[in-house]
Amino acid sequence: MTQSSCDALHFFRGGGMMEVCGSSTVSLREFGCEQSLLSRPDGSASFTQGDTSVLAGVYGPAEVKVSKEIYDRATLEVLVQPKVGLPSVRERLQEQCVRETCEASLLLSLHPRSSLTLILQVLHDDGSLLSCFLNAACMALMDAGLPMSCLFCAVTCAIDTDGQITTDPTAAQEKESRALMTFAIDSTERKVLMSSTKGSFSVSELQQCIAVSQKASEKIFQFYRDSVRRRYSKIL
Amino acid sequence: MFSRLKDKVGQVQLPGDEFSWEAEDTIPLTDPVRPERVVCGPGLRRSGDRLLVCKSGVLRHKQPNVFWIDSQQRRYVPAKGETVIGIVTAKSGDIFKVDVGGSEAASLSYLAFEGATKRNRPNVQVGDLVFAQFIVANKDMEPELTCIDSSGRANGMGVFGAGGLVFTVSLGLVRRLLSPLSEIRSDLDQLFPCELVVGMNGRLWVRSPSIQQTLIVANLLQSCDSMTAPQRRELFRRVQQGAL
Amino acid sequence: MKDTPLANCERDFLLKAFEEKKRLDGRQTYDYRKIKITFGTDYGCCFVDLGKTRVMAQVSCELVAPKDNRPNEGILFFNIELSPMASPVFEQGRQSELSVKLNRQLERCLRNSKCIDTESLCVVSGEKVWQIRVDVHTLNHDGNLMDAASIAAITALCHFRRPDVAIQGDDVTVYGPEERDPIPLSIYHMPISVSFSFFQQGTYLLVDPCEREERVMDGLLMIAMNKHREICSIQSSGGIMLLRDQVMRCSKIASVKVSEITDLISKALENDKKARKAGSKCGFAESIPQERITALKMEGTPVDVEGVTERASYVVQKAGTPPQTVPSPVVPLPGVGQVGEGIHSTWGMEEEEEENNISGDEEDKVIQMEVDKEDSKRGDVVEISDSEEEEVVILNPETPDKTPKSKPPSSHQKVAAKTKKKQKK
Repeated sequence: MTQSSCDALHFFRGGGMMEVCGSSTVSLREFGCEQSLLSRPDGSASFTQGDTSVLAGVYGPAEVKVSKEIYDRATLEVLVQPKVGLPSVRERLQEQCVRETCEASLLLSLHPRSSLTLILQVLHDDGSLLSCFLNAACMALMDAGLPMSCLFCAVTCAIDTDGQITTDPTAAQEKESRALMTFAIDSTERKVLMSSTKGSFSVSELQQCIAVSQKASEKIFQFYRDSVRRRYSKIL
Repeated sequence: MFSRLKDKVGQVQLPGDEFSWEAEDTIPLTDPVRPERVVCGPGLRRSGDRLLVCKSGVLRHKQPNVFWIDSQQRRYVPAKGETVIGIVTAKSGDIFKVDVGGSEAASLSYLAFEGATKRNRPNVQVGDLVFAQFIVANKDMEPELTCIDSSGRANGMGVFGAGGLVFTVSLGLVRRLLSPLSEIRSDLDQLFPCELVVGMNGRLWVRSPSIQQTLIVANLLQSCDSMTAPQRRELFRRVQQGAL
Repeated sequence: MKDTPLANCERDFLLKAFEEKKRLDGRQTYDYRKIKITFGTDYGCCFVDLGKTRVMAQVSCELVAPKDNRPNEGILFFNIELSPMASPVFEQGRQSELSVKLNRQLERCLRNSKCIDTESLCVVSGEKVWQIRVDVHTLNHDGNLMDAASIAAITALCHFRRPDVAIQGDDVTVYGPEERDPIPLSIYHMPISVSFSFFQQGTYLLVDPCEREERVMDGLLMIAMNKHREICSIQSSGGIMLLRDQVMRCSKIASVKVSEITDLISKALENDKKARKAGSKCGFAESIPQERITALKMEGTPVDVEGVTERASYVVQKAGTPPQTVPSPVVPLPGVGQVGEGIHSTWGMEEEEEENNISGDEEDKVIQMEVDKEDSKRGDVVEISDSEEEEVVILNPETPDKTPKSKPPSSHQKVAAKTKKKQKK
């Protein structure tokens, strides 16, 4: 048994097809962000990665329904609105991914018995949608002024049939890929807060993608900082 | 710690940023110095011996050692001692329920008005505005308001009279309006004489002789939200020339 | 979630202001707020800003079977989604009175007015027609959602292109946009809804009410009209009695407003067409106002991947060889399990817990887990999982020496299964 498991590891380590080489495809598309663009929500942000765009709105801390009340922390509700039709299982899964990431970074215990509602509206999907959701969510939560222990950002990596890693893939690149992974990364220690994967990949590929995402996250966090700085650049 | 914080005053901080102790902050044995105390306001959080930022905004400092993060937030979170404008939403028995824009309706006893007794109840209707102060406000308890100070006097608080307009602005503008040497307030004074009530929860109430003036003041204040001082002065100057 | 209640003084003030022909934002009685129309990257995606009110419409299509009573007509479907983003009072998935009212009005405005040629949407009579679906999402609610929704819906329909189809015998081929240019819908006219709110039992009238005005109003009249001054639908709600003159006056105002808005829509469509032809980028990303202080854009940047491979192999190496696999439990008697008492019991739970806290440090554990999984897949257990009778068997097939002797039937079964498997092969 032990022998065979070692074999398995060797197989994956030595497998020729699994070699990933760092190449010029590792880049992020154009980024854009606008904060406080809606008048009704307490915090709002739109985030675009290439053509993929998401609009996020946050309400809270607000009144909570008795059935959803938690006595020692705030109830966080995440709603994903698809562009066409009603939310389905896919949206539920995305909601869960976003909610768990937000719960990890928000200091929910500072607002017990209240509700936080985060609504994410797809404006256009051109790949890396989940990471765009998470980035928009982070900006909106920051705009709402909710207490957070750290920021988070997300990077999607695609591995194509040749074993090449592409970060922030477009919809076409996603379609061609063999495996697709999204990692949420926190701003203080660059640890992985959430991962969502699709397709098959080896252990070393997973590690490479995490490492690439951690590198890419630096750029995104710098972008966050720049946009907040720009916003507060006006002396009121 | 102190010097580290002072260096960063006026800079933009993001959640997760950290101020750590430095070696020189340790107390020298030879010299009996009292360790410096730092008072942390909103947006700063102590965790063990680390000081963490938990809101995005600009780090501010007030002599001698008060630090806080100035952020552009819209949702109000009740704090003890703050005065707010509330809307009465319900009367139930001995208390009024008041909406203050927080996560929970605050309660206001009918005895918490100047001169109120069991017999002599204050005349408060549902939908009325009250200017009141928080005597209980923490995250675990229902917030409680009062319309009298510790000596039993109204001190400016109570139910609003008829007329006037209430509207909402950002919490940052409210704080700027209430600062002792507020330029916005003095600029406005020169423009229109009006009654202005400022609630810490982002609600403003204005009353002036004519409806036209009230509307102008309300719109001016709302647009002040995102204007720098020169822009504002320019706007006020134009209004002064044009409107009157 | 509850909305902020309306204070009595606000109500009184608004009504008094209307008497003096004044409005909160300084508009005149018949003024619309600023309308801004932008388009998304896709065809049929349109954003409309009406003051602070903001909605998005997206048109989509699919081939479906037609309705029995209309075999030659395509199907139109409208849905206004009152997203909780627009206002805290809107709840997801709940049909509120307002949403029914808005949906019904939009249907009457666009479907019952026959502004779209549904017969041209027929592909094979009685079998396949296009269903055109219009989803309107509210993004920010500051009053007059209906007008914003109707502008967004009709603009999106005008902007939409459906894929081309070819019929050869019974085969229907749908061409992608690369193969054949998509086709626009044939639209006869553009009905646009104009809302009027009434105060003091119809004494005062306002066009395009904002949210606070809507809360104070007594009644609402919605007139849908096209630029040829044909009324497509008219609806009065709120229970006020309107006089003939009032309705006539409103329809006159509506005709002016509609022609203004129609011009605006045509201009927006024209601009977008030009931009698309010129090949410049369009879409939401382009519509972010760059000059705003709250907006920031960053060009695409390469990511420095130096050291990534090393780091990955380091982590994998650090993980080392996975530990021994779970020791198989000793079964003293068939059907008896034992916990504790000197026996090392291991439960599947541990693995799940590890799965939950995947984070930088625990990467090594994750790898082990993965390897374990791979490993188990390579064992015999998985291979025979398709046949039913083996469900009882095998916790660890590789260690038959530990299997108690009192359990011969299972091993027999296993052998039987294996032989059966071989036979199958």
